[in-house]
Amino acid sequence: MTAVAAKPQTGAIFNPTAMVVGIVLLIILLGIGYYVSPTLGLAALIGIVIGGVLIGFGVHFVPVGGAPAAMGQAPGIATGVAMLAAGAGLAGLFGGAWAADQGLLIAVITGGIGGGLMMAITCMMVNFVYVFGMGIPAASGKVLKDPITGDSQPEYKSQGTEGHGLPFVSFVGGVIGGILGGAGGTLIYIELLDLYKATLPTVMNASAAQILPIAVATAGMFAIGLFLVNAVLTAYNITGTIEGPHDPKFKRWPRSVVASAVASALCGLVAILIVLI
Amino acid sequence: MEQIVFGIGITALAGALATVAGSAEDTESNIGSQGDPNSQVQLAPQMGFVHRIFNKAVAGEPPAYALWCALGAGLAWAFLAMHVNAVLAIVLGSLLAVFVQGIYATTAYLGRTSSLAKFGQPVYVDILKSMTTVAMAHAFVAIFCTVTICYLINAALGHPFPLPLLGFIWGIALGAAGSATGNPYYGKERQYQNQKFGAGVPISASGNIVRYAEAGERNSIDNGFFTAKFGGPASGLCFGLIVFLELWRTILFEKVGAGWGAIIVGILIILVFTIIDRYMEVWARKNYGPYTAPAKEAAP
Repeated sequence: MTAVAAKPQTGAIFNPTAMVVGIVLLIILLGIGYYVSPTLGLAALIGIVIGGVLIGFGVHFVPVGGAPAAMGQAPGIATGVAMLAAGAGLAGLFGGAWAADQGLLIAVITGGIGGGLMMAITCMMVNFVYVFGMGIPAASGKVLKDPITGDSQPEYKSQGTEGHGLPFVSFVGGVIGGILGGAGGTLIYIELLDLYKATLPTVMNASAAQILPIAVATAGMFAIGLFLVNAVLTAYNITGTIEGPHDPKFKRWPRSVVASAVASALCGLVAILIVLI
Repeated sequence: MEQIVFGIGITALAGALATVAGSAEDTESNIGSQGDPNSQVQLAPQMGFVHRIFNKAVAGEPPAYALWCALGAGLAWAFLAMHVNAVLAIVLGSLLAVFVQGIYATTAYLGRTSSLAKFGQPVYVDILKSMTTVAMAHAFVAIFCTVTICYLINAALGHPFPLPLLGFIWGIALGAAGSATGNPYYGKERQYQNQKFGAGVPISASGNIVRYAEAGERNSIDNGFFTAKFGGPASGLCFGLIVFLELWRTILFEKVGAGWGAIIVGILIILVFTIIDRYMEVWARKNYGPYTAPAKEAAP
């Protein structure tokens, strides 16, 4: 079948062989982590993989309309998947890093709420512009009724478009996506920070207070890098635009989660090996 | 107590700076057609609509602003390490970052526009000369305000991240907020002013952007002038609210309940915005009603 003849697939597409290969790769990478450092290194690597999976899964919730949304031709937020998810997730990471002293749980939840807050404000302002700036009510192109409010959608959809604005379910999806992204990014940061704080004094032959700025900066850079890796990977899985959890493309999440886990394990291994070898 | 009052003051200042930054960012990106509406600017000549709109979209707004703000913050950090006065260091860092933005804008416009030569789209040197400087001026305001926010967060509020990392984070958040809020207003309301108000642009109309102004041909400064009245302030409000509320909940409630205070307040704020959003959605459905096709004018 040529690329032209191939029909676009919107629902779940599974390639069992690829999934198995992905899981085997993940086990091998975790095994290397165990071989290098059975306690500290492996614990950090598992945390990074969980964080990466949270980011990858969370990005599927974010309603992204891309270029068509900028002309009111498709519902969602008018920007790229990876960019918006990164914006929300990194805003969450900012809050989570601030709360790092208060323990893993508090920091991760604070990071999640930070990401959710950013998305709530952004989604609300998107609808503000659509409603008060352009006089357009929100309408989904993928469902007949909003799964949360039950509002009917087709009659509000402009002729010749796939919908516009952010129906309530997309708003909720955006907030959930921001929460998961912020929490995942913060989890990666905290795991790496703990690892660097424990190992860098020996590696650099310096006191804990001296290495703290280096540990914070390095963990922050790796957390941002891992965030972008997972967000971009998921953007490829989504291929263009997604309305939120009610979109048929949402069902593609399992393969993205496996891919995110493998990519996070590989990148996380690099982040760990710089201090453990 | 004194520290909390100081923190609130810094939070308010950061919120105000963020509002200005968001507004300037959106206007800059609209002048340069850097957001998603660039697709129509690029498509128009291919559909036979040659125009005089600036187009520098070779990267999305969030990564572009992440680069410029991280660059500005990194250079300011280097100047601070050289014991340069903080205000001067931030100004110099932002200025150098803006030169990079100017080079980016110039090469992007030349590259994108010259690729349309086979469709008869000329590269207008007067457009390049007049638009680039205006875009650079707006970019300076956005970068300077963002780097100042990062400096305040780092130096006055004690965030652990170094200045360049904060520049990257808030640069990407600035671009995300500005493009999400400002793009539809520029894309639908300005580029397609000839289409029905209160409805999305039909896909069949893609590429047929408005190319003429009240006098002569429309250019990107006209677009910046238009969007600065609504899309820009809305983007500013969005980024201002994000920065202000994120800092406010942390400064005031971080110590309450061993960290749970800031979390609960964050959840409450999210709920408030959810209610506002739902109210707006219902209000729009009630007041604007379902879509009605435009009535066809009778032939004379």
